Amino acid sequence: MNILKTTLSNIKSNKQLFFASVGTITTALSILGLFLFVYINLNSVLSFWNDQVQLIVYLDDEISSDEKKQLEKLFSSSSEVDSFRFVSREQAWEKFQLMFSEKSSFLKGMGFNPLPASYNLKIKPLPERLKSIQSLAEKLSQEGGVESVEYGEEWINRFETFMILMRVFLLALGALLCLGAVLIIANTVKLSVLSRKNEIELMLLTGATPGFIKFPFFLEGIFHGILGALISLSLMKGVHLYLVSRFQGSIETFGRGMDFQFIPMSFVMVIMLTSLLMGWLGSYLSLQQFLGAYKKL
Amino acid sequence: MIQLYNVYKSYNNTPALVDISFIIKKGAFVFVTGPSGAGKSTLLKLLYRWESYDKGQVLVNGINVGKLNFSKLWQLRRHIGVVFQDYKLLPGKTILENVAFALEIVGAEKKTIRYKAWEALKNVGLSHRKDAYPMELSGGEQQRVAIARALVNNPKILLADEPTGNLDPDMASEILHLFEKANADGTTVVFATHSQNVLREGNHAVIALKRGKIADTRIVA
Ligand SMILES: Nc1ncnc2c1ncn2[C@@H]1O[C@H](COP(=O)(O)OP(=O)(O)OP(=O)(O)O)[C@@H](O)[C@H]1O
Ligand SMILES: [Mg+2]
Repeated sequence: MNILKTTLSNIKSNKQLFFASVGTITTALSILGLFLFVYINLNSVLSFWNDQVQLIVYLDDEISSDEKKQLEKLFSSSSEVDSFRFVSREQAWEKFQLMFSEKSSFLKGMGFNPLPASYNLKIKPLPERLKSIQSLAEKLSQEGGVESVEYGEEWINRFETFMILMRVFLLALGALLCLGAVLIIANTVKLSVLSRKNEIELMLLTGATPGFIKFPFFLEGIFHGILGALISLSLMKGVHLYLVSRFQGSIETFGRGMDFQFIPMSFVMVIMLTSLLMGWLGSYLSLQQFLGAYKKL
Repeated sequence: MIQLYNVYKSYNNTPALVDISFIIKKGAFVFVTGPSGAGKSTLLKLLYRWESYDKGQVLVNGINVGKLNFSKLWQLRRHIGVVFQDYKLLPGKTILENVAFALEIVGAEKKTIRYKAWEALKNVGLSHRKDAYPMELSGGEQQRVAIARALVNNPKILLADEPTGNLDPDMASEILHLFEKANADGTTVVFATHSQNVLREGNHAVIALKRGKIADTRIVA
């Protein structure tokens, strides 16, 4: 109770500093959080498209059943292929009509089916998947009865590289910002400690335990960290809600069932825990430095 | 209660205490005197381990002071009350709160704190001013508050570093009487002063220091 009072009056007597400190932590965590937010959403886009990666083998209309059998044997023997599905010309046409039902009167007016039959191959999510898709596609296009082969674009590969870079960047940025936040907290707590020098000396003199002396300052540092984290998380939530209300419609055109992901709960916990640790560490550093002068061992 | 054996202490290779040995028995009242820079304050600081020493042995209330590390210092200091020339009261607290602070620090039972602090103030004759702030009191009154604070935890040892240094003779003898009262209640008192008046008035044992060495002792039973 009393300790809480001490902490609060520490903060009150250094109001500007307190706001500067919490503000900086908030900014640092918000920047980090924003990148995390972008990363997580790009990642979910990626995994969405990942699932979609397939190889489509379009067939000549005049393909013979022998050629078909030959192709199917090739699919089953290819280790990259997870499964395959035959889509006949009629099925393709039906699906096409379903997708563009608004324009169906025009389509019906066409009177014939322009679509080829195809095999849709689902590819196993192997690490070198794109390369194997490429070579498989080449091989298949040589086969008899195959008109053309289509597969996931090169950019998926680039996208993956980009995500790895982004992860590295995020970690580096995070470490840097955390370090900065720790130093800022340490500095703020140090000024708090210095402004209470006489009181602390009296405590030492009277026989306060080190824990008793340190506790309010630890509380102060942790309070800075947690408050910064809470503010930045609410800011991020605000941004998230705004994006959802504003752009949910347009994002669905990318893929059905996609939406903006907020930072997952586990990350929220990690951010809270990190900020708590940063506060503790900042206080620890300044207390260690200050009390070191009284140890003289 | 306090034993020193061949204690040496220097600051940056300048000796401040040289080969100090003495024994202060439980319940004694001892003056430490000597000219400025003789090492009086340094000697007291060794007793509550504010300073370390280079050689020798210091025992206080059976505790080997040299062997104590920082995290255990409080165990020594809870046996000791200290009073300074400059009082060291906290200006933002009333005098009752100043005394209560010493109780809070050692984790005294909450309910008893106010009463104990008030009683300690009463013992130095200041309970009627309990809500005053230090700045509203005279030097002598502030020193009485500091004594009340030093005594409120019933220490076995009371150390005083020139407690009358800033006070006129009348006030000084009043302060001396408070220390003698505490001594009569069983507290061992070590009182550093260079005031001849105080030394003459209190008829107690004296350790006289000169340039860090014990120059003279006057033991009065
Ligand atoms: N923290 C310190 N660092 C360096 N030297 C110190 C320190 N404290 C004291 N000294 C030196 O040690 C010697 C003894 O000082 P001390 O304060 O013990 O004397 P004193 O007898 O209390 O003097 P005074 O009557 O002026 O208070 C002096 O020469 C002083 O300059
Ligand atoms: Mg001195």
